[in-house]
Amino acid sequence: MNIIACVKQVPDTEAQIKVKADGSGIDEGGIKWVMNPYDEFGVEEALRLKEKFGGEVTIVCLGPARAMETIRTALAMGADKGIHIDDPALYEADSYATAEALAAAIKGLPYDIIFCGQRAIDDDSGQVGSILAELLGIPVVTMVTKLEVEGNSAKATRPIEGAQLVISTSLPCVITATKGLNEPRYASLPGIMKAKKKPVDIKNAAALGVSGASKAKVVKFVPPPARPPGKIICADDTPEGKAAELVKLLREEAKVI
Amino acid sequence: MAEKFISERNLRFLLYEVFDVESLLQYPRYADHSREVFDMVIDTAMKMARDLFKPVLTEMDRKQPQYINGEVKVHPQVRTVMREAGAGGWIGATFDYEYGGQQLPEMIGAMTPTAIFSAANYSASVYPGLTTGAAGLIVSFADKAMQDLYLPKMMAGEWQGTMALTEPQAGSSLADITLTAEPTEQGYYKIKGQKIFISAGDHDGVDNVVHLTLGRIKGAPAGIRGISLFIIPKKRIEPDGTLKFNDVNCAGIYHKMGYRGAPITQLAFGENDDCRGWLVGEPNKGLGYMFQMMNGARIDVGVGATGIASAAYYASLEYAKERPQGRRLSSKDPLSPQVPIIEHPDVRRMLLFQKAIVEGSLSLLMQCSKYHDLEKVSEGEKKEDYNLLLELLTPVAKTYPSEMGILSCSAGVQILGGYGYCDEFPLEQFYRDVRIHPIHEGTTGIQGLDLLGRKVIMKNGRAYKFYLSEVRNTIAEAKNDPDLSLYAQTLEELVEKLDEVTKFLVGIATQGNPERFLADATLYLELFGIVSVAWQWLLQALVASRKLKANCNSEDESFYRGKILTCRYFFAYEVPKAQALMVRLMNNDGLTVDMNPAYLD
Repeated sequence: MNIIACVKQVPDTEAQIKVKADGSGIDEGGIKWVMNPYDEFGVEEALRLKEKFGGEVTIVCLGPARAMETIRTALAMGADKGIHIDDPALYEADSYATAEALAAAIKGLPYDIIFCGQRAIDDDSGQVGSILAELLGIPVVTMVTKLEVEGNSAKATRPIEGAQLVISTSLPCVITATKGLNEPRYASLPGIMKAKKKPVDIKNAAALGVSGASKAKVVKFVPPPARPPGKIICADDTPEGKAAELVKLLREEAKVI
Repeated sequence: MAEKFISERNLRFLLYEVFDVESLLQYPRYADHSREVFDMVIDTAMKMARDLFKPVLTEMDRKQPQYINGEVKVHPQVRTVMREAGAGGWIGATFDYEYGGQQLPEMIGAMTPTAIFSAANYSASVYPGLTTGAAGLIVSFADKAMQDLYLPKMMAGEWQGTMALTEPQAGSSLADITLTAEPTEQGYYKIKGQKIFISAGDHDGVDNVVHLTLGRIKGAPAGIRGISLFIIPKKRIEPDGTLKFNDVNCAGIYHKMGYRGAPITQLAFGENDDCRGWLVGEPNKGLGYMFQMMNGARIDVGVGATGIASAAYYASLEYAKERPQGRRLSSKDPLSPQVPIIEHPDVRRMLLFQKAIVEGSLSLLMQCSKYHDLEKVSEGEKKEDYNLLLELLTPVAKTYPSEMGILSCSAGVQILGGYGYCDEFPLEQFYRDVRIHPIHEGTTGIQGLDLLGRKVIMKNGRAYKFYLSEVRNTIAEAKNDPDLSLYAQTLEELVEKLDEVTKFLVGIATQGNPERFLADATLYLELFGIVSVAWQWLLQALVASRKLKANCNSEDESFYRGKILTCRYFFAYEVPKAQALMVRLMNNDGLTVDMNPAYLD
């Protein structure tokens, strides 16, 4: 079985994100970079399928030079090889341009199933998996919490409000993984040693035949407004006085009633 | 609870910038590794610490191990920790490839994960840690058959390893061990005796427990010359591979002040005359073998204490930034908002104290780890030199972090005030947990005797002289840095005085008065600790100062300035304490030697 897992390198969930003064992006100084947690579920599921059916797991990742660490992490978990799409023209890519580059890298490869995280925790757009499937002309099931592969088809479970959908799909297909699908394994020390020697192809936009042109453009990064300080109501010390003051403030200042 | 328990930035600073772990890559032993591998080891250890160790820190303290029908039940996470530590290759991370290890440098494969795991949850970290120590002993001294029998299961985390030394009548005094081993024609020994205070000596997080045990072969000479080392499994392996109970009974567990997530057991060997043990190495050489593990275990104790103190530091730092209380002493307006307590100089002093202890201790431990790595790759006289340095510094690297870790955690409790004393915050647990460290693996008193009575004078003081030259090298370098030359000079004077004190004390020994020579060995150790950590702070400041002169981003700048400030703090607040110790140590009045115990009543 040929399995592909797409991964993205994102700031650690614990990183303190600061927007650059000119609003052109985030300040990357001091940020720790990790594999997008939803992509980890995809990598883990890919490894489990490989363990069950045999075959190979290929990691595909778009990002600058530092993204190689994330590819190596997936290789240390047990994936076999990697493709690193590294081109400054693609660093600001939107979901479409990202999916287009991934599709171009994947097109020439044999694949039975492609995993993506349901979304990346940095820009939270949640679109790449679906666009990728569209560009490759194959089905996609998103937000998958359980997957059973048998022969040429798969049954994927997807939570919806108050219930679960079980969706049958033919292979090849794209699966976007979410929490609940599995518990991703840790890279092992022997795995880390082996990862170094596994092949990773580095490709730029020209080699993939994509322009990197985005359909969406980020105009500006703006940090959320600082929370205004709270107000302690102490106009009158009686409950009635405080309530009256509160009503007045809600009506006149907050304008919510 | 605070998320942060250790500074990854600081670990990387020590590994890459101060001790240049990458310089080891030039040696064939480490040729397969790279910076990339080291980074991934750190990342993975941090991830495991956050996911596996930290979440059960409080729970393992509250739900202590239980002794039920002769068996010890521990927190279910122990099994997960052992399995993951085994599956990930962490238990044998520094062992040679031929034994299934990863041949990582000590700095990366032992020091770094031990610090990270113990900062996240000390109790959980000792299960794999003890197994590493016991397996290391089997690698070094057991024959191939025993290695094949025990190592795979231990390194996979399926079997626990322990070190079983202490007996009811023989704790610090190992010469008085009585566990007996009677040879049989089948090659094994019949074992009878008792051990107490055996950490992780029995529990349901593993399928078997392998005790590396000290005992006496029947008829062996008295004292330390008659002590041998045995492997005694809880369940022995039958020829068909099945496990059979080996008459090792757990007679009970102790209820401890802290470090409650790991059971400390009382063991009875051979109550029903069916306990078999296998001799490791040659008869009557057991104590020497055991000391290989013991030295490693002593370093681990230092790391454990530093880890706990690190978690306490970040917990109290977070609190100090958030807790508004009072106003600056210069502010007279009672209606102005209260300031976070980190604004108060006294709180800052306590935080700096914690930082100075934690990062100074870790640096000293990393220094030891580097000597250990250099010992492994060096030959001949150099190899011996590094070994001697490590031997000399082991009691210091065990004791300074342990004793000062207590004071450091205590400062953390103090910063939280009443909350620090209550169990809604983790400080009280850290304070209890860290208290074990000056006690286990050789008390502070024993470490003092070891340093002054053995290490300083061994080989005509060769280790001691080599140590002084290492410290003086750093001093010479720091003298060239105008920002640090003052501290270099202070340390130079301190080292001169340490040498004076040492000569004075050794003089007493040569007059044939061992009691007076060693009466205040603990204080000598304390002095030695201050000198050694001052050296480490100067070393760190030297690197930070150099980095600041090059271009660096704002995070790095703040980090390096923090290093230099903490170095200044150490020299301003901690180094002067050495003066008082030296005054006492230069006095040979025998006050404690000659006193009448009745005066204490």
